[in-house]
Amino acid sequence: MARTPPQHEITQLLAEWREGNQSALDELYPLVYDELHRLARRYMSRERKGHTLQTTALINEAYVRLVDQKNVHWANRSHFFAISAQIMRRILIDHARRHAYAKRGGGAQQVSLEEAAIVTPDASAEMLRLDEALKSLAEMDSRRSQVVELRYFGGLNNEEIAGVLNVSENTVTRDWNMARAWLYQQLTGRGAN
Amino acid sequence: MTSERWQQVSRIFNSAIALDNDARADYVAGQCGPDESLRAEVEKLIQSHQQASKENFIGGLAAEDGAALLIVDDEIRTNSLEKGQQVGSYVILDLLGAGGMGEVYLARDSRLDRTVALKVLSQDISLDKRRMQRFRQEAKVASSLNQPNILTVFEFGDVDGLTFIATELIDGETLRDYLRAKRLKLGEILDIVIQVLAALDAAHEARIVHRDIKPENVMIRRRDHLVKVLDFGLAKPTEKKLSRMGGEESEAATALKTAPGIVMGTINYMSPEQAQAHEIDERTDIWSTGVTIYEMVAGTMPFSGVTSSHTIVQILEKNPAPLTRVADAPAELERIVAKAMAKNPDERYQTAKDMLIDLRALKKRLEVEAEIERTASPIAPDLAVVGDVVDRKRRKKGVLAIALVGTAVVIAAVFGLYTWRAARVRTTPPESTPAVAPTERILTYWITVQKFKDDKPYQDPFTLAGEINFEASYQIRVNVRSPQSGHLYILNEGPSSSLPKLVVLFPSPTANRGSSLLAAGQLAQIPELFWFRFDREQGIEKLWLVFSEAAVPELEAVKEFTNHRQRGVITDTLKNNAVQSFLTTYSTTKPEAEKGDTLTTLRMPGKILVYPVKLEHH
Repeated sequence: MARTPPQHEITQLLAEWREGNQSALDELYPLVYDELHRLARRYMSRERKGHTLQTTALINEAYVRLVDQKNVHWANRSHFFAISAQIMRRILIDHARRHAYAKRGGGAQQVSLEEAAIVTPDASAEMLRLDEALKSLAEMDSRRSQVVELRYFGGLNNEEIAGVLNVSENTVTRDWNMARAWLYQQLTGRGAN
Repeated sequence: MTSERWQQVSRIFNSAIALDNDARADYVAGQCGPDESLRAEVEKLIQSHQQASKENFIGGLAAEDGAALLIVDDEIRTNSLEKGQQVGSYVILDLLGAGGMGEVYLARDSRLDRTVALKVLSQDISLDKRRMQRFRQEAKVASSLNQPNILTVFEFGDVDGLTFIATELIDGETLRDYLRAKRLKLGEILDIVIQVLAALDAAHEARIVHRDIKPENVMIRRRDHLVKVLDFGLAKPTEKKLSRMGGEESEAATALKTAPGIVMGTINYMSPEQAQAHEIDERTDIWSTGVTIYEMVAGTMPFSGVTSSHTIVQILEKNPAPLTRVADAPAELERIVAKAMAKNPDERYQTAKDMLIDLRALKKRLEVEAEIERTASPIAPDLAVVGDVVDRKRRKKGVLAIALVGTAVVIAAVFGLYTWRAARVRTTPPESTPAVAPTERILTYWITVQKFKDDKPYQDPFTLAGEINFEASYQIRVNVRSPQSGHLYILNEGPSSSLPKLVVLFPSPTANRGSSLLAAGQLAQIPELFWFRFDREQGIEKLWLVFSEAAVPELEAVKEFTNHRQRGVITDTLKNNAVQSFLTTYSTTKPEAEKGDTLTTLRMPGKILVYPVKLEHH
């Protein structure tokens, strides 16, 4: 078995998406979601041993595993990172939503020696509010919300983001400052609108 | 905000934050002119910008901030099915057991009206698309080989997010259960491994490596002792190399380190190349078969350390004591096992067939020698030992027996190499072949303590043999291991005297997948992912450790409380009282506790060990 079909498939889908075929993205999405989700969980078990979760390392690994390295177009990689950032956001939001739901539904009893969760009580709510705010931002200014997505959810640095969005690094820095200030305002309730 | 307004605000904002404080106010005032609301908007944003920088708002990574969510959420999700529930065309009849790969149910296939074993894979495995694909493919091929010692797979399915495998139902026990129940005689051991190797030989011919041969994956049918090897292809793939990750540990090594005895099941049967995440091939199965034989003969595993890392070091470096020394085994068997467990795969048996040939020859020789022994000694037919190694069916056939004796004479005369002498067999009492049954329970425990400061881990965790004064900020994890296999239960009793309330900590859906059965050498760690923290109530927390040769009905009955909702609290008064009285009865005799710096070893004569670990906290 020289190469497994999914690698071909994913490489092909990436190429199609890059050329503007949106339905390729629909097919790509669940494949990458599964892989990233699985890797994230594995990285999480590493977390217990004091490692931190490096999103870029994680996406890199997904990329190496999913995409056929021999037939890769240089732009595939940045496209892959772009979609991965989006998916990481989705994974975390999905989890946050379920977590918030479980907390509402669970009439937990007081236990003498209880299992301490590392989650701060509001981690899930915070994540969901940020997601909502990002959606509002995307409606006004999709590029700035993408910068936040790539940086915060995808773990990309400004140079990489500039590459993905095809803008200058300066623009990325400016977009980030503005978007972050605005999001902060929304989440802390300082925003008038 | 309109788009133009937004663009206007951001333009002024971006230029303004590049300026120092004095210049900024002037600049903003100049740019906004009489538009007060624009100025207010910009100033507010600048303030937010400064605050966000100071607080490092979303300055880290989302995955880090939400990391715990990923775990907590998965902890909650377990796929337990109810009796009568329909999964595709299967109706669940009963839960048969749970293991690292998921849960196994007795189910009825309503289409074909047959009873099957339905294995529902845990999310961890079923989410791994590639692994599933490979597993499907390999299990299909293995099953299609029609080798009687390979478990037949009927169907793979995906229904409502559940991934399941329907296989033929075997009325029998795993070799693990078998080993726990009784000491195997040499003849039985050879019968079993010969069948395991026959299965491997067929699979290897079809280029399929099992990857996870161990007593848990070998079943013995009750009716005729037919051996079935389970789970071809299901073991974790380790052949992948992830060295491109620069400085990252290999996947297998990480999995081992982070999830001792949990995700991977036991690691004691792993080959050196597997433990190092090197490429593996058929010879890894040869190794694991060698380890399994060793354990069956010696009664202990050849590689078993206090922690996974210790075990790995042993696998890589240690040569276990020869079987001829630890048990009264034939030198030829020791040679075969040592060859199977050669650290370098090139020095091992290269094929299952070669090993099979040697084992069959040994079996035959022992039968012949026993036959000689029987005919040479007037009282021999009554000796149980002879029965050990003689296939009874053959013994009845006198003609065949004579032919065998003839063969034996030729072998003895021509080669005369073997040291396994009939005289030695005669002097060995049956029970001690191959080893003495344990008459005491042994359990080792230690406690890992993590200090916390502002809800964050602070300093490195340290290990304790138990019993100090715990601060409120200490969070703990309890580790238990035994060289013996058995049923482990851990309960917590709080300090409150008015409310004697018991909480089940182990097993639970997230601890050993709900099974109390602990393999020899397997590490039980609770909680698996997080830490236990003490509540506000000060005093002495008791952690009841129960380690029993057989399952304890009173404790099995309270496993059901370990769901996410009840969190282990035994809410049923009758069941709670039954557990209380069990603990009281069995804790009157205290086990002998041998305290080291970092761990405590408990020894208790008999078949049940009960011990309260006391944790005093303030």
